[in-house]
Amino acid sequence: MIDEEFAFDDEEELSLLETLDHVLDRGLVIAGEVTIAVADVDLIYLGLNVLLGSVETVNEVLGGRERRLAALRGGGAEGEEAGGR
Amino acid sequence: MSLYVYCVSDEVTGEALAGTPGLAGAPVRLFERAGLAAVVSPFEEEPVPVTREHALAHNRVNAVVLARTTPLPFRFGTLADGERLASYLESREAALRAALAAVRGCVEMSVKLMWDAAVARRGAGAAAGGEQGGAPAPAGGGTAFLLAKRRELLGDEDLRRRADELAAWLELRTSDLARASDVRVRPSASLVVRAAHLVARARVGEYRDRLRALRAERPDLRFLTSGPWPPYSFGSIKN
Repeated sequence: MIDEEFAFDDEEELSLLETLDHVLDRGLVIAGEVTIAVADVDLIYLGLNVLLGSVETVNEVLGGRERRLAALRGGGAEGEEAGGR
Repeated sequence: MSLYVYCVSDEVTGEALAGTPGLAGAPVRLFERAGLAAVVSPFEEEPVPVTREHALAHNRVNAVVLARTTPLPFRFGTLADGERLASYLESREAALRAALAAVRGCVEMSVKLMWDAAVARRGAGAAAGGEQGGAPAPAGGGTAFLLAKRRELLGDEDLRRRADELAAWLELRTSDLARASDVRVRPSASLVVRAAHLVARARVGEYRDRLRALRAERPDLRFLTSGPWPPYSFGSIKN
């Protein structure tokens, strides 16, 4: 859902990051009914940073994307799957 | 069996959702109560694992609804049994209808501004230091420490001021296009401004043009723009 008009249209990682940023800490809540468990190592690396507000992650994605993706892919099968999505 | 809840709407129809897979591929359906419809799918696990697939599925279902009408999206990970959800819709009906009316015909657009925090901090520190003017007076260890501390505090203040100015600039330049905005400023972070704008569907093109112009105006900043999103930042009601 990254804006196709702008520079990052086909960036899967960034798109996921933006999605996480929107869905994890915003939206309607039925009191006490949000229970989540972080299960995916790749997401701990990428998404939990968003959840915790460590926005440096975005800058890293923008600034050193290739290095970053290489690191993610080196991290195991989940990274590969992620890259292929 | 729990229901995973994606969003609530007063306009969504079952046909709009036909064939849309939810979390774990489960079929999505409407749960109707009090003239409102929650979009749900059955879900077995609790808590909900935050996986790439689940997060994208949550947003995909919301996007399918958004293509037809503007719903109020739930936060990721919302599970409720039928009784709980029915009671929620019934007891919050008025607030939910008011929130739906507030976002009707609109979508959420997101802008993130990034600056180089180190450079911004150096600039701020220099500005604060410059305020002293002339040659520094001879100072003992204690005084030097206090002066340095003062410069640091002034630097932080200046950083906050510049961050606030940046946020104000963005707000001013988008205020005619945004029906509402939700802005978060963090001067110490690289991602200094996160703004969500509620924009009428008919004006999204104009909004994009505006952002393109703002981007050209400030080549020193990095812009990350995305959307349209369901109004994740504008749907909250008081519980």
